[in-house]
Amino acid sequence: MTGPLVPFREIVLKVHSRCDLACDHCYIYESADQSWRTRPKTISDEAIHQTALRLAEHAGTHALPSVSVILHGGEPLLAGPARLRRVCEELTEAVGPVAELDLRIHTNGLQLSPRYLDLFDEFNVRVGISLDGDQAANDRHRRFADGRTSHPLVLRAVDLLRQDRYAHLNLGLLCTIDVENDPLAVYDALLDLDPPRIDFLLPHATWDEPPHRPSGSPTAYADWILAVYDRWQDQGRPVPVRLFESVLSTLNGGPSLTESLGLAPTDLVVVETDGTLEQVDSLKTAYEGAAATGFDVFHHAFDEVAAHPGVRARQLGLAGVSETCRACPVVRSCGGGLYTHRYRDGSFDHESVYCTDLEALVRGIETRTPAALPASDNGELADAQQELTRTLLARLQADLAGRGGERWDEAWALALLVDERSDEGLDGVLGHPYARSWLLGCLDALREGRPPELDTLGSCVAAAAVRGGLEMAVPVTYTDGMLHLPTLGTLRIAGPGTSGRAELLVAGKEFSVAGTGTDWQPLRRIGCDGAPDLALDDLDPYRDSFGAPPHARLGTAEAEEWSRRFAGVWGRLRQELPAVAEEAEAWLTTVTPLAAGEPAAGRHGPGALGIAADVLTVEGLARGVRRARLRALVEVTDLYAQDGAWLYTAGWAAGPVTVSELLAGVHERAVLGAYSVEIRQALQLLDRAPELTVSGKSLVADLWKEWGAASRLTEKRP
Amino acid sequence: MKTSVNSASFAVAKKSRVPLAEIDVRGAEAAQQLGRILPASTGRSLRASTFNSAL
Repeated sequence: MTGPLVPFREIVLKVHSRCDLACDHCYIYESADQSWRTRPKTISDEAIHQTALRLAEHAGTHALPSVSVILHGGEPLLAGPARLRRVCEELTEAVGPVAELDLRIHTNGLQLSPRYLDLFDEFNVRVGISLDGDQAANDRHRRFADGRTSHPLVLRAVDLLRQDRYAHLNLGLLCTIDVENDPLAVYDALLDLDPPRIDFLLPHATWDEPPHRPSGSPTAYADWILAVYDRWQDQGRPVPVRLFESVLSTLNGGPSLTESLGLAPTDLVVVETDGTLEQVDSLKTAYEGAAATGFDVFHHAFDEVAAHPGVRARQLGLAGVSETCRACPVVRSCGGGLYTHRYRDGSFDHESVYCTDLEALVRGIETRTPAALPASDNGELADAQQELTRTLLARLQADLAGRGGERWDEAWALALLVDERSDEGLDGVLGHPYARSWLLGCLDALREGRPPELDTLGSCVAAAAVRGGLEMAVPVTYTDGMLHLPTLGTLRIAGPGTSGRAELLVAGKEFSVAGTGTDWQPLRRIGCDGAPDLALDDLDPYRDSFGAPPHARLGTAEAEEWSRRFAGVWGRLRQELPAVAEEAEAWLTTVTPLAAGEPAAGRHGPGALGIAADVLTVEGLARGVRRARLRALVEVTDLYAQDGAWLYTAGWAAGPVTVSELLAGVHERAVLGAYSVEIRQALQLLDRAPELTVSGKSLVADLWKEWGAASRLTEKRP
Repeated sequence: MKTSVNSASFAVAKKSRVPLAEIDVRGAEAAQQLGRILPASTGRSLRASTFNSAL
């Protein structure tokens, strides 16, 4: 087993090994593993002390910012307040100086009283309570040994926890699903208790002990959960439901939020009441001794357990699921299901016994989830990009943390002033594609310990003041005798080789710098019929962001010729690929001539196209704007996750490609109509690609339409 | 010598934008935004508990 050791961030500490309920679905007492019978009832002082030391050692070794300790059982409250106080004290004392300690307790609530809750308040122990729904649902399994209901006592505990003095400790309710219960009655009953969070759990089962399916439906659990999902969605998601949030997170490219779903490696270890270290508890469902490691807190560090093959097997992500799962489009969301649920005939190398449910659940939520693909024709994409650039500037200020120097501080104060006084000024400058290039360069420099080019902020503020027509004086820095004002042009202030400071005075849409002449090189525009009104930016010092060298400033005649040629090709683009031209005209603002190379999208904000004269053709333009558009989308939305985890064959590529490369290739070519068979095959691969998010799938649906339209157009052409 | 400029638009200002001074660059939303274009941080990160076994 390869890969780095994954440290434990969650410790399940068994403080009592017996329970005051006799739930017939309990995985501790009712399943294959009966090791609880030989454990001490209550955790010993020595086991508490040694666990605290081991955990502090582990957190320190791995520089963990936080660790969670979940007090568990049996029923942990049976340990009594004195024992629980000892646990909290020892853990806080040992771990507190090393890492943030997140203490939790999972309980059936029967014993919960102010005596416990005052203790939990003292140590900030947050409380999760198990409740399976309304009384009928809860009584189906959660009864005392003599058959009495536990429901009223649980409600009393929840009421107590909801009191103002304890509400901050309330973690919410954990509900184990039984498909014979009415899903809406269960959900409504839980919601009535106003929990801060609800978690629905599948009852533990394996292929050897399959789940109860009274109707015989292979998707009975998915149907049950989706009924709740629809009610939850219709109500406007009134409470966080972890199961739903986890699936929504992974569908949108984020992490899984629960151990029972997703591909995240396990980071959990169990300490039994005798100090024995075990793997995740639910394994006890599989077979006698399934959770055992042979280690204990008295003789072994947590690192030794982290290296145990059983633990490592659950840390392999995609490599740790069955072959069937690795090829499944929903595996990134379900993660092959809980490890325990894969068990069959002595092996975990199978899909989950809940596989059909998990697939139906993930697909069900997916079809109910709108894509967050920002449109370029209504300003959504531009808005998201503008917000991103503003956030980058704010991030640079935060990362400088007061170390930017006087010039930066002065420019930052003026930037805030311009931002406040002019709606257009600063955004007009930050909206220029190469403002992003400058900001990314500064953040790179800070991260790598190089000096960032902070003086550019003064130039941005000066340009913003001019654009906003604000009357003010802005200190600026010139280099090699030149002052570049982004979006406007370049002014010669002094002779070549000279650098220094000057003051730029703004009045209306005019500006001046004392003692300078008229050597002003304005940013030119492509003002020819047939092309949109774009900036021809061959001036900006940050335009070198395409991965291909930019062309030097063009002479006047050269610029006119370049513009005429560009307009001519753009006119042909409008005729031959009207949809591509129309879409690009909604967001393209800037063209930068490159010295050579492919049409490129680089490390800049949206709106820029870099293109060399030798590829200034209809196809070259189309490829360039499509590359720029995809880049703009990828920068503000998650189209895929785990890029590179799967590899694909694309007709146009010599070797295997990742999903991002496959998507980029299709996005660029689908509109051209010249690669019909290759694109159709690639789109079919993308249809089953597990990496794609809801937004990514929405983009692929658009690409199918674009490919269809382009193919039909091509067929009609002579 | 005064220079006069003709400034074409590169971005339309959002009416509902958050003022520059009030942008929360350490929040979850900003982290998600910036995470798409900045290299992953190697710093220590907090992670929520994912354990969910009922009793």
